[in-house]
Amino acid sequence: MITMNTEPIRLQQAAATPPSKDHTTMKFMTSRFGTLEVDAGKIITFVQPLLGFPESIRFILHPHGPESPCIWLQSLDDPNLAFVAIHPALILASYEPEIALHVKAELKTDSDNELDVLVILTIPRDNPTAVTANLLGPIVINVNKRLAKQILLDPLKHDCCWPIGSKAA
Amino acid sequence: MLILARKPGESIAIDSNIKIRVLEIKGGLVKLGVEAPNHVAVHREEVYQRILEQNRKAALEAPIDMLALTSALQNSLAGHSALPDKSQQATSPGQDKDQK
Repeated sequence: MITMNTEPIRLQQAAATPPSKDHTTMKFMTSRFGTLEVDAGKIITFVQPLLGFPESIRFILHPHGPESPCIWLQSLDDPNLAFVAIHPALILASYEPEIALHVKAELKTDSDNELDVLVILTIPRDNPTAVTANLLGPIVINVNKRLAKQILLDPLKHDCCWPIGSKAA
Repeated sequence: MLILARKPGESIAIDSNIKIRVLEIKGGLVKLGVEAPNHVAVHREEVYQRILEQNRKAALEAPIDMLALTSALQNSLAGHSALPDKSQQATSPGQDKDQK
């Protein structure tokens, strides 16, 4: 029985599903996963690049592994660029970022049902237990149209380096 | 850089739809009022900077050793109310399909 929020499963399933025959597959070189064969229909396009990475527009969600709640956000434009992301509901149930109307318009939807949110994790290499989540700049994804954008929230309410496991944001 | 001198109450216009007005100058602090369409994001520059630096750090430090990360995460998440227990976590996303 799976009792957790179905949202992360939706995205992770999307990432884990093997390429379907309906779409053309494309091959991308990545430094972490070698050559990835990517279903063209699963490519996520950022309507605005992530801050600091203007060259990377296309990403793919790559499962982290069956034991892990995380998901890789791998750039298809830069083989070396990958983020570890997680569905925020898994780390902070009370986290409900407000998604402005103009963001929904940019992501070509007027429905919250089509949208999913991921937050990027920062995992210090020398101390992976000190992992933090960027709650200030979550990534909003239109799951159906595969469009994404990193939005900026109110810095008084959200932390860019929220230590996972702490009780309050 | 374009430099413009403005007094309190005066403004500058950017394009036809963005207006930035100097509301008050007091004790080395300038209060600005910004009028812009909804789709134009207006933030203090530090906020952009903070996100940018955090993105870079996250990308740079993204672990190579996935096993270490997984166990680290499971440890830090252990006991969190929003998280399923260990046995549920161990279910791979692919196996959940039939149960939805």
